[in-house]
Amino acid sequence: MFIYRKRFAKIIILLSGALVSSLSWSIVNIGEDVELEGFVKAYNIMKNGASAFHDGELTHQRNTAQLEGKYYFLRDGQMFNRFSSGPIDEATFTFLGRAVYDSAYDIRDSYGSLHDRGKEEYKVREAFVDIMMAPFSLRLGKQQVVWGETDNFRALDVINPLDRTWHGTRESWEDIRIPLWMARGIWDIGKIASFDETFLEIILIPDDFQANKVATMYPRPWAFRGIGLQDEAANSVLIDNTLHDLNVTVIDGAPDERKLSNMQGGFRFKGIWNEIDFSINYFYGFSQTTGVKVRSAGLDDDTGIFNTVVETVNPRINVFGVTASFSEDRYTQSVFRLESTITSGVPVSIAPGAPERANPNDNSFDTARQSVVMIGVDRPTWIPALNSLRTFFISTQFFWRRYLDYNNYYRGSFYDVRPAVVNGSAVPDRFVSVNEDKIDQDEFVITFSASTTYGAAGLWKPLFVFAYDPRSTGAYNKIKMEYLYSKHLVFSAEQHVYWRVNGDDQGPWGLGSYLGESGIRRNETIFTATYQF
Amino acid sequence: MNKYNISALKYNRNYRLSVKVFSTLAVATSLCFPLSLHAEDQSYQSLRDWIDNSRPDAELSPGQHLTIKDRGSKLEALIPHTAWKYYFFDDMDMEITATRDYPAPDHWGKNMAPDYKLDEDATLVGFTGGGFPFPEIKADDSVAGQKVIWNMLWRPGTNDFEMPMVTWLRSESGKLDRIMEYSNTTATYARGDHSLVPGYEEVKSKRVMEFRSPRDMAGAKDMSITYVDHRRENSGWLYMPAQRKPRRTLASERTGELMGMDMIREDNNGFGGKVYENTWEYLGKRKILATINVKTNPEFGGASQWVPHKARWEVRDAHVVLIKPKSDDHPYSARVVFVDAETYWTHWMFAFDKKDDQLFRMNQHFLKYSEDYDKEPPAQAPFIKQDYSKNKGHSVFLHLGQTDINAKKPHATMTHCFTNKKEFTAARAKQFYSLRNMISGRR
Repeated sequence: MFIYRKRFAKIIILLSGALVSSLSWSIVNIGEDVELEGFVKAYNIMKNGASAFHDGELTHQRNTAQLEGKYYFLRDGQMFNRFSSGPIDEATFTFLGRAVYDSAYDIRDSYGSLHDRGKEEYKVREAFVDIMMAPFSLRLGKQQVVWGETDNFRALDVINPLDRTWHGTRESWEDIRIPLWMARGIWDIGKIASFDETFLEIILIPDDFQANKVATMYPRPWAFRGIGLQDEAANSVLIDNTLHDLNVTVIDGAPDERKLSNMQGGFRFKGIWNEIDFSINYFYGFSQTTGVKVRSAGLDDDTGIFNTVVETVNPRINVFGVTASFSEDRYTQSVFRLESTITSGVPVSIAPGAPERANPNDNSFDTARQSVVMIGVDRPTWIPALNSLRTFFISTQFFWRRYLDYNNYYRGSFYDVRPAVVNGSAVPDRFVSVNEDKIDQDEFVITFSASTTYGAAGLWKPLFVFAYDPRSTGAYNKIKMEYLYSKHLVFSAEQHVYWRVNGDDQGPWGLGSYLGESGIRRNETIFTATYQF
Repeated sequence: MNKYNISALKYNRNYRLSVKVFSTLAVATSLCFPLSLHAEDQSYQSLRDWIDNSRPDAELSPGQHLTIKDRGSKLEALIPHTAWKYYFFDDMDMEITATRDYPAPDHWGKNMAPDYKLDEDATLVGFTGGGFPFPEIKADDSVAGQKVIWNMLWRPGTNDFEMPMVTWLRSESGKLDRIMEYSNTTATYARGDHSLVPGYEEVKSKRVMEFRSPRDMAGAKDMSITYVDHRRENSGWLYMPAQRKPRRTLASERTGELMGMDMIREDNNGFGGKVYENTWEYLGKRKILATINVKTNPEFGGASQWVPHKARWEVRDAHVVLIKPKSDDHPYSARVVFVDAETYWTHWMFAFDKKDDQLFRMNQHFLKYSEDYDKEPPAQAPFIKQDYSKNKGHSVFLHLGQTDINAKKPHATMTHCFTNKKEFTAARAKQFYSLRNMISGRR
């Protein structure tokens, strides 16, 4: 398998090299029907510890080669330029392959314990056929489907899971969504009653369930280790001031993808009514956030070991949502965006010791109903003092998530690993974990971003991002400058900073309230060089 | 049309008389011109002076190649003064061709819905296309300027094509900053007494533009809808591959530069804004040189390679319209457009900076008449082969490109278009120009 991966990587890199060497234009045509494009990117991340540019360490040197292609095998009712295709007007085949090698793994001795986990990736990420047969169109294959109006927070954009293993959610989601094998059909309805531009979209995912991917193995740079100690795992339980070894058995309860009954699917009806773009969405799937059911937990009197058997579960979810967007040109010169969902089946943990009414199945697990309301505003804005030629694109979002059937025993996923303390003294090499991450019924986050371009040809592209959780007071800032040096070469430098105003609430969003904590802090300086073609 | 067909007029007595009159006037006015019309002067006032005072008095022959030596005697009177700085250069070469007629399509003006009018601020109401709303422009008409622009906005050939494009962005001295490839596909919905897609009578036209390269922009897709009701704001959506979903855009923002190019949305075809947001003045007709029917997409020349070189030019009568934005926040103090008096295509546009009344941006357009495509086909796009045989028979102009200069930076954007007529069926138009199509981008 490894050999095949290497071969795939070599093919991508050699093909990229061969193609870019003969380029006169940025995209590559092979004959009249095949187009190729892609990039080779060197992506270097330095983690700055306590403060920017101090305690720095190289965490990633992620080198990526991506090849994207499109084959127009049916145009204007002619297949392969030879055969009449009947009612099919157009058809294309699209693929996107990615090869990744993170050379930090070969530079850092400390990554040796990871046994190359996260070092390489060789994948055909997307491969699908588009068939256009007015008024129907069909996309079959491995693909991404994005619904909703929200940027970078999940409400309706839950069809594809996220791979958060290598850089959390701080990458373009296009690159970290996990494409799934599915069928997506669209019926272009057009005008109907007082609705315009309407279409009905149906998606079907027969047997490709995948949960969000989260790294947990230390010292992966973006491993999710909860709060507290990052380089230790809990191995003990403290009962009545006596320390017991902890033995955890995990049963994988993820849906069996081979069963037809585990199919996922949904529909979207979209259109325009009175200048308002709207959609009504429904998705029936599985939660991509994995929950944990405690099957059994107890002390083995013979061995003195505390045995716990847990089952990971991804419950069925029902997501119902509506979206709207509206361009208000007269008074505010803004585009308003709205998204609202109700989701049932969201997995939550129940705090140990919760009463029976809060933990009726006695497994420290429950599913909840959750609502989301997002209101966003986009505005191209003139700030002549800063840029006299071009507007700033300013985009803000207010995102409110609420547990509808909330109870006080809901717990989140931030476990705190601590040294085991017996009679006031820490016991060497013994660690316990505690979950004090009480979920709030209402969770909020506010985001703001501003971007523009500078230079005669707009080749300098600054971006400023700010996210703030008013409850935990955790915040995140990103400042980025991209420079389009030539049609092929793009450089960028960026700084990510996590911080909080006060308090110790972790908050649910992975902002400064968690990632700004001492020992966890993920302030990063990033340099990227991309050769695109 | 009063054409400037010099070969035909060569032996005409009136023409000889005109030449004498012009020559006398030229000598008289030349005494004061050198002070006011310096080549480097790109002020609004200098353009007005040129429009008011400069008149062609020289004889141009078809087939003649004009060079820098012909500048004072022939060219300065036919190239708007504001453009001299860029268009006159040492090895310049302008081929002159005879002025000719360019008939509109046979059906043009025959299927128009009759009940339309200008409202109190000269906004066209009730017009649904199919012909020029104002075939006759009278100089003493108080709304002549607006009528010229309405004809320009509804001219034949405005839409219904597939147009791959290549754009070069260059600094001074010709330094190439960026090359972009993209395609523009448009369809006229409002066709006089009917709509291309029944049920969509409120739509004037729809356009889908998709970027092809460089890769950082590849797959970006923009759809816009303009409406028959000019007071109704356009609708727009932008699909960015990185987001994998279309996003509603604010169509009323028309004054910011686009994609690093040296143009704003309102500069499109000389004027792409809202009539009621401006004040108007008709400045009369002028003879100008225009690249109205070039052989092929012109090469670029001049010190910075910003302007057409070795292109074919034709003397044309143009309506000159002065447009002044009402808004205090608008970057322009004034915009002057030269619109062809027969075809209503814009040849030249000059916009002046509100801060100092000096040239801010200008554009100049290269066109080709569809009926010449069989005997003189233009170049093919570098990335797709077009079947130009479809173009003949439409009797319209096809856009072969333009140059847009920002004098303040200074910087320029030169574009070659490889335009092919494309007629959609109602069903295909409905699907192609739809939100549905926007959600399935290049990737």
